Amino acid sequence: MDHAQHIIESTQEIFSSMIMLDVTPGEPFKRNNEALTNSISGIIGMAGATKGLLAIHLPEKSALAVTTAFLGMDVDSIDEDVRDAVGELANMLGGSLKAVLDPNGSEIQLSMPSAIHGEEYSVDCLAGAKTITVPFQFDDHSFTVELQLRQED
Amino acid sequence: MGKTVLIVDDSNTMRKIVSRALRQAGIDFDTILEAGDGQEALTVLGANKVDVVLSDINMPNMTGLEFLKAKAEDAAIKDIPVVMISTETGADIIDEAKSYGAKGAIKKPFTPELINETLGALL
Repeated sequence: MDHAQHIIESTQEIFSSMIMLDVTPGEPFKRNNEALTNSISGIIGMAGATKGLLAIHLPEKSALAVTTAFLGMDVDSIDEDVRDAVGELANMLGGSLKAVLDPNGSEIQLSMPSAIHGEEYSVDCLAGAKTITVPFQFDDHSFTVELQLRQED
Repeated sequence: MGKTVLIVDDSNTMRKIVSRALRQAGIDFDTILEAGDGQEALTVLGANKVDVVLSDINMPNMTGLEFLKAKAEDAAIKDIPVVMISTETGADIIDEAKSYGAKGAIKKPFTPELINETLGALL
């Protein structure tokens, strides 16, 4: 199974079981370091035998909708709850990918999740990394999940 | 009689989600206590009667594994059962957690049914 398929299955499982949202994947693509606007990104780093990062990028309106569903309460601005929820989504996605890449769990270390939010910012690709980004949609909202991996020689 | 559970996770969101899942699982907890890392969890356990602990592994200050080790060395709290609830469920990490006394592991994402199944055997 390729990494895009792992991303799709992990994302759908997390959204359906934890947020009660059915998300529909689109065609995977390679992101070209273009800036993200009015968005929030949850990021988790990978170190060890495989280095890389896993990120979920959500436009602000999508992040509010996801957090509202996640917490079961209305959220109308990007606050600590939203940053925490988006970071936790990245954490679960990273854990799911790690389970595939490192079944015993001892060869890859995951960082603590972090969240970036702003009117315009970049999440650059790691030098020499293979990258894949999968778009998703739910209701009128969209988001992307990006994986960057650099296998050590 | 209702019981007391301690949820240990650095994510406020995840603590809320776990609390909700416990209610959805139909487990009769009178009190749900929370801690943001292992060190806070030790403090809560020292001050409250807790029946079971659900603990994340990757946390700042004191990780879930460090919490298990410290708890095992404290006679007053060492017998309180702990279930790990984490994205980290690789065999090596879970074996290490069990060697420090963890009674089980629940992988995030989880369902209320899985929580019920895992905790039901401990309560």
